[in-house]
Amino acid sequence: MACRDNPTETLLNERDPQQLVYVIDDDEAVRDSMGMLLESADLPYCCYSSAERFIAEHDGSQRGCLVLDIRMPGMTGLELQQQLAQMGSSLPIIFMTGHGDVPMAVEAMRHGALDFLRKPVNEESFLERIAYAFDQESGDWRQKLDRDQARQRIDSLTEREHEVFLLVAEGLANKAIASDLGISERTVEVHRSQVMKKLGAKTLAQLVRIYLQSE
Amino acid sequence: MCSPVSGGDYDRLETLLKNLPGMAYRCLNLKHWPMDFVSDGCYELCGYQRHEIESQQVLWGDFTHPDMIDEVDRKVRSAADSGQPFEVEYRIIARNGQEKWVWERGRAVDRRSDGVVILEGFITDITDRKRTEAALVRAEAYAQAIVESALDAVISVDDQGAIESFNQAASSMFGYRSDEIRGHHCRSLAATSFYREFDRHFQRSQTPTKIPLTSIELNGCDKHDNEFPIVLSMREILDVGEKKYVILIRDLTQQRLAEREVREQRDVLAHVDRLNTLGEMAAGIAHEINQPLTAISMYAQSGLRFLRRPQPQLRRLEDALEKLSQQAHRAGAVIERMQEMTRPHQSHQEDVAAEHLLQEIHDLGEVEAQIRNFIIVLRLDDDLPRVKCDPIQIQQVILNLLRNGMESMRANHCKPGSKIVLQARTTPTQVRISIIDGGLGVSRKLEKQLFQPFATTKASGMGLGLSISRSIIAAHGGQIEFNNNKTVGATFSFGLPRQPD
Repeated sequence: MACRDNPTETLLNERDPQQLVYVIDDDEAVRDSMGMLLESADLPYCCYSSAERFIAEHDGSQRGCLVLDIRMPGMTGLELQQQLAQMGSSLPIIFMTGHGDVPMAVEAMRHGALDFLRKPVNEESFLERIAYAFDQESGDWRQKLDRDQARQRIDSLTEREHEVFLLVAEGLANKAIASDLGISERTVEVHRSQVMKKLGAKTLAQLVRIYLQSE
Repeated sequence: MCSPVSGGDYDRLETLLKNLPGMAYRCLNLKHWPMDFVSDGCYELCGYQRHEIESQQVLWGDFTHPDMIDEVDRKVRSAADSGQPFEVEYRIIARNGQEKWVWERGRAVDRRSDGVVILEGFITDITDRKRTEAALVRAEAYAQAIVESALDAVISVDDQGAIESFNQAASSMFGYRSDEIRGHHCRSLAATSFYREFDRHFQRSQTPTKIPLTSIELNGCDKHDNEFPIVLSMREILDVGEKKYVILIRDLTQQRLAEREVREQRDVLAHVDRLNTLGEMAAGIAHEINQPLTAISMYAQSGLRFLRRPQPQLRRLEDALEKLSQQAHRAGAVIERMQEMTRPHQSHQEDVAAEHLLQEIHDLGEVEAQIRNFIIVLRLDDDLPRVKCDPIQIQQVILNLLRNGMESMRANHCKPGSKIVLQARTTPTQVRISIIDGGLGVSRKLEKQLFQPFATTKASGMGLGLSISRSIIAAHGGQIEFNNNKTVGATFSFGLPRQPD
């Protein structure tokens, strides 16, 4: 089958089923045709006719990527990008730009846009960019999951255990920790094994990774 | 002093002389004419009493103007020698220094024993007459100068219309010398096709009326049969024994040329204006064309993908093609609009049936409305009259207003199938055309800049249409008015002048 040979297709077939393409464009025909193209590539999508409408539904749980028209009446693409950044969203954004919008596109890239595509859009590179965005977002998502998990576990530590955890993660020996905290080396050992247990770490290396993930 | 008349007669003569406006005299034809008799009129004439003159303390020659005394002397002498009466007009200087013109008539009546000729005569003051004459001469010269230097043809004719005088301007306008045209009927200065009109005007000029005569415009015809536009007015010359008329004619050729040039330049300017704005709008147009192109390209790609599936999805392919075709029409409409604006259009107002015009515009607009999923409702009064307008321009204006309305409705998220109304109502002087939309309405902020190029609320609009539309309606003697509707949207309207039935 022809499409199976296509690397983009393969990549997209391995996507996370929770990922959606959010198309935001004020032009109905552009929205509709883009939806149809995504449908033809078996990508789930959701269309919005304005940035405001998207913002109204956004709650941080959305997965996938944004395909965003840079020039719209009301809230522009750039404004939406900034607002999402303030809300802590890490959804990758692919901008669609018109003829004279390159300066705006550059501005968007500076603020962390994944890419921009000139209209009329080349379909292959469009789907390719979406695959890339999904990939990126999956990584971000996993990282975010790990971070959330690590933080959750760290939060379960007592105050004293947390102090011990931080010093262990910095690489201090039990003896040094004991003298630092003004407690016995034996007590440090008890806390330390408690920390390892609560964090689910079997080795020192695992403990350090959890520390780094939480940052 | 020798008196040829008896006592009673003398008294009567004295009375007569006293009442004459002037001075009777008898003198010797010697240097400065010593007088031995003058009548009482002498005082009024020269300011000296009879006795001062008769005693010859002052001589008549003393009053005579030195510039003229020799001439007077020569005339008198030659008349006296031949025994003929003489008549002279000359100036005197009175006692108070005042200069006067006098007229004198006299003759030699006798001869003294020493052979000196005795003259008798009468002298009277003609200063007033002279002054009037001079004024008359001046006025005539003045009138002549005006007539001859006038840029307009000034022609006088008799009551039959025969030309009597023809000024310089008339000669150069019509190519006739004044002597070759004299006596011809003035009608021959008009082009043949205007004879009837000319005659009617000539007749009207002959009817006594207090109403100032209006001028008429017609074609003149010169000696070489060239026709040219003229404006002509005719007037009776008052206070002459026989009726005469003066005709003033102005050549309108230059004026007509200038008018045409202005008109042409205005059309060119309007065209340049549109092109300029077009240049500024390049980005806007690129955007407008780019949108359907983007959609077309994606529909095409989607179609291919549906087709290439292991089980081709023909239904979806069909959808894609259908939508693709719509978008191609949309792009075409954008280009058409551009062409409408770039095409130089010579404004040409004609008599048009309003109903037909609006029906046609409705049909044209319907194509665009379908793309947007809206409906144009045509609401016309019965028996709409004919209007005077440039149908192409009015079509441009109404389509533009419809488009604006539909864009605004789209921005207002009107449902598919929403209506926009194109309405025409008859008023006593106009057909009032309104476009009533269900869009966002005109905000206070927008109101101020509504008619400026590039003011737009539309994402895909060019913001230009209204400024052009406004100038088109202004050229039709009206203006575009707008109101926000009570519930939703706005109404834009303008009037077209009714054609008289």
